[in-house]
Amino acid sequence: MSFFSDPQFGERVITLMAALALVLQLGMVSQRWLITNIRLFGVQSFLLAAIAATIAHFNRAPHLYAAAGMTLLLKVVVLPLWLERLVKRVGIRKEIEPLINVPASLLISGGLTLLGYVVAESFARPAAGFPSRELGHNTLAVALALFLIGFFMMINRRKALSQVLALLSLENGIFLAAISLTYGMPLVVELGIFFDVLVAVMLLGILVYRIGETFESTDVSKLRRLRG
Amino acid sequence: MKQLAVASLLQLAVLLAVAPLASGIIRTLKARMQTRRGPGILQPYRDLFKLWRKNMVVPDSASWIFSVAPHVVFLTAAAVGLMIPMIAWEAPLGLFGGVLAIIYLLGLGRFFLALAGLDTGTAFGGMGSSREMTISALAEPAMMLAVFTVAIAAGSTSLTEVARSAAGQSWRFLAPSQILAFSALFIVLIAETGRIPVDNPATHLELTMIHEAMILEYSGRYLALIEWGASIKQLVLMTLLVNVFFPFGLSASWRAPALVIALGVYLVKLLALCALIVLVETTNAKLRLFRVPELLAVAFILGALALISSFLF
Repeated sequence: MSFFSDPQFGERVITLMAALALVLQLGMVSQRWLITNIRLFGVQSFLLAAIAATIAHFNRAPHLYAAAGMTLLLKVVVLPLWLERLVKRVGIRKEIEPLINVPASLLISGGLTLLGYVVAESFARPAAGFPSRELGHNTLAVALALFLIGFFMMINRRKALSQVLALLSLENGIFLAAISLTYGMPLVVELGIFFDVLVAVMLLGILVYRIGETFESTDVSKLRRLRG
Repeated sequence: MKQLAVASLLQLAVLLAVAPLASGIIRTLKARMQTRRGPGILQPYRDLFKLWRKNMVVPDSASWIFSVAPHVVFLTAAAVGLMIPMIAWEAPLGLFGGVLAIIYLLGLGRFFLALAGLDTGTAFGGMGSSREMTISALAEPAMMLAVFTVAIAAGSTSLTEVARSAAGQSWRFLAPSQILAFSALFIVLIAETGRIPVDNPATHLELTMIHEAMILEYSGRYLALIEWGASIKQLVLMTLLVNVFFPFGLSASWRAPALVIALGVYLVKLLALCALIVLVETTNAKLRLFRVPELLAVAFILGALALISSFLF
């Protein structure tokens, strides 16, 4: 039981789970099936909830438990279920067709991860006078990588629903950065963000449904036809 | 000297005995997960025994390569098996370059198998060889990167040193670079042993087969040697995964009581890895051949990231 109170062990577990989240993000880039993508997002969110709970436990920040619980409820259960229902209702082709082929996308994602590491490196050597962070820059690097790869996925995909999914994984990156840098923002801010995400996804879901109804496709490049 | 001989013999015995068992366990677990009864765990032994007693048919068009290849496949796999730490820290055989020798000995076996596929001049053999070579050309860089990550962390390419340094630092296996390298090597394991997202070991369906297409002309004793060699290669790669990334339970010396415990721990770790493989095999459909490079690109990127993040640590 001794390592449950050893902060070094906690740090290791957090970096481990962050690395797994990165592996899942790369899996999402390479995976073509929309349903599998949604499930991968669910597992990634579960890891984030676990990271939040671990930070809450080792840094004695009990309000982070609330954030972890909400992540678990919203991003692991509600949103994936809602998205899967949407896929069924819109009846879109269940394969994602990225603009850039998969091996090249993976190479770009690898480069973005590297960029994340390089940027996070400067946070690892804090200026004199500031106390150095206990939480490694590894987690921050992974968070930045999740953010950048999520952004890249949004650019790389044509279908509206897969873009929504990319937006959600991008948001996961921001959440990870927030909890790893600040050990949790005030509960009100967290609540606001969660509510924001929920409403955004609901609205986007309705929008995707309407696009599908009107154009018989959720391919956003077809929206160019709307230009006068 | 005497101790070395005993160690080699012991490890060789474990290797030869456990290799078909691992295949059998995977097959039975897979059947159970698909709610079939499936053959017993010992079925691979029975298959090997049956093949061993059968007569051989050698095609008229076959050259000497046809009869050399099974021996090369079997011997390279067995030699590699002696070069990795299996139940003790110390591998009985430490040749030039450690890990590099392992990768290229496996490559030698694969090369001869592909040659044998081409040798008889049948269409299926050539097709199988070309596919095998395509996949291995993509899997090898990923494997190298993953293995180098581990070697850099340990400061040596000798697997004995790697296992020793890994056992010294507790929780080292929780580092992100290790997880990335493990994922990369796991995908390589799936590709190299012809498991489901890449190849289906259970069918002879001509459109999809890779490994089976190459050995279609073999029968009798040669087929037994190739099958046995393939299962040894699978066990070697699995051992590499469990012992390099999760090195607990390895015995520090070649003494009886410690070895028995180490063997038990080793078998439990293997069983866990078998379960993971079965899980992947039952939850995935076989990929189209042209999608396989995408899977291996994932492995390559994971390996590259592992190497990079171990430098930036």
